Amino acid sequence: MNAIAEQEHAAPLLELRDISKQYGHVDALTNASFTIGRNEVVGLLGDNGAGKSTLVKIMSGVEFPTSGKILRDGKEVSIRSRKDSERLGIETIYQDSALVGSASIMRNFFAGRELTRGLGILNTARMNEIVMDQLMNVVRISGINSPDIPVEALSGGQRQAVAIARAVYFKTAMLLLDEPTSALSVRETDKLLAHLSELKEEGVSAVFITHNLYHAYESCDRFTILSRGRVIRNLAKAETSVSELNDIIVKY
Amino acid sequence: MREPIANITLLFILLQIVCVLVALAYPNEFRYLSATNIGLLMKAIPTLGIIALGVGILMITGEFDLSVGSVYTLAAYVAAIVFTAGYPVLIAVGCALLVGIVIGVINGLITVRAAIPSFITTMGSMLVVRGIVRWLSESGSVSFRPSAEVAAIFTGSVAGIEAPFIWFIGLSVLAWILLHRSKLGNHMFLVGGNERTATAVGIASQRVKVIAFALAGLAAALAGVISIARVGTATPAQGTGLELRAIAICVIGGLALNGGRGTVLGIFVGACLLYMVEDVLLLLRAPGFYLDVFVGAILVGAVIINTWMTRRSSK
Repeated sequence: MNAIAEQEHAAPLLELRDISKQYGHVDALTNASFTIGRNEVVGLLGDNGAGKSTLVKIMSGVEFPTSGKILRDGKEVSIRSRKDSERLGIETIYQDSALVGSASIMRNFFAGRELTRGLGILNTARMNEIVMDQLMNVVRISGINSPDIPVEALSGGQRQAVAIARAVYFKTAMLLLDEPTSALSVRETDKLLAHLSELKEEGVSAVFITHNLYHAYESCDRFTILSRGRVIRNLAKAETSVSELNDIIVKY
Repeated sequence: MREPIANITLLFILLQIVCVLVALAYPNEFRYLSATNIGLLMKAIPTLGIIALGVGILMITGEFDLSVGSVYTLAAYVAAIVFTAGYPVLIAVGCALLVGIVIGVINGLITVRAAIPSFITTMGSMLVVRGIVRWLSESGSVSFRPSAEVAAIFTGSVAGIEAPFIWFIGLSVLAWILLHRSKLGNHMFLVGGNERTATAVGIASQRVKVIAFALAGLAAALAGVISIARVGTATPAQGTGLELRAIAICVIGGLALNGGRGTVLGIFVGACLLYMVEDVLLLLRAPGFYLDVFVGAILVGAVIINTWMTRRSSK
């Protein structure tokens, strides 16, 4: 009993072991291994075409690896769809496609996970209440006074905040943020990075995929660097610097 | 003023006030408020209005159905043929509605499985179904004259309100509950707004679309049944052009052509507005060709106003 609990505690939240992915004759990933620990923000770095996006797609169930294993808490799992990754507590926030612009904040927040009164009728009042509570008290974004505002009327930062609030509310264990800062203003980026550290305190781990080494260095505990589909380095924040990370990425 | 529906409802109410005032001032020259005219409007609006409800639901999920006019005619034929063959009315109506649903499902499955534009799929089925109707009509015209009590369900009136209009109101309420208050409706808006995102959050977007196609077919078939119950006979040419008029109603009512936006109230007001304008022109004894000219002008005008207002308010 104790031994099992200990083992669970020791095993990483999510481990990808020797993952390869081929598209026809193109090797997008070759024996890539990647782990996400508890209470950890991992930076996934690399130049264009290094395989970062493929790795994210495999973790979120959009793509299936050609070979390799995925372990959740040390137990082997298979992620074949978005439903599978959701069940394992993985939530992906893409830079633009996480929300439907023409739909309201509330309808996006509960998209696919609506609360109903039975017979498929929405419990709108309850959902509105939850959304406002999450936005005001969890991510604390200003300027949103109604859950009925269409998402397209929000700024890039507000959109990210809505997506993050959703992930927190649905008890996500790991957030995969794919280039989250590319569409944000400087102030919004600051806020997002602050959210990430708050989330870590609440026990949500995150993978931060980015080009911007300064943003990554500021918020991540550990860095995994990819180059041409292979993992070339794993570095803790304490043993590296922005310029060293930059050198590694440029050199390979 | 952000919502297109607000503009169109305002326009509708303004026109309504003007017409009522003019009708009160010149009761003999402009018979807008006469019982005959109001009765006529309430019988005319529902046929196309009900079709537009189905077409609108489908448009919100981001797809089109050009086959509704043909389905409308085929449903009338099926109801009449089954009824003439000696089966009870309920079976005849049930068969007609089933045919509508089946054609809708086929349209939907072909569109999502082959991943082709529904514009093409349903243009094809429009022609195929129209051909079937022609083939059916070769054995002579058909009639559908159920007993008076049954016919009253489709053609009677309650407290001066014609039965078809009660059907239209009832179906609009159902459509409103479905689109604006149900989980499935929420999925329809999300799929129409951004199908990739909807799929990414775990919504079965293909299934949602097929259901919407089935509803469009069902609505068209129901309109066909209501119409033949009123007229009594079916002719092969009667549904021609309804598909484009239904789309026009939806667009006037503020539904986005590329999906994800729209309200049931918009479809309702759009249908009433279209017929009201035609009716006013008829009352003014305008020559027939004015009808097409005005409907065309309203269609383009409504979209220009909606686009302009939406752009201005989002600045």
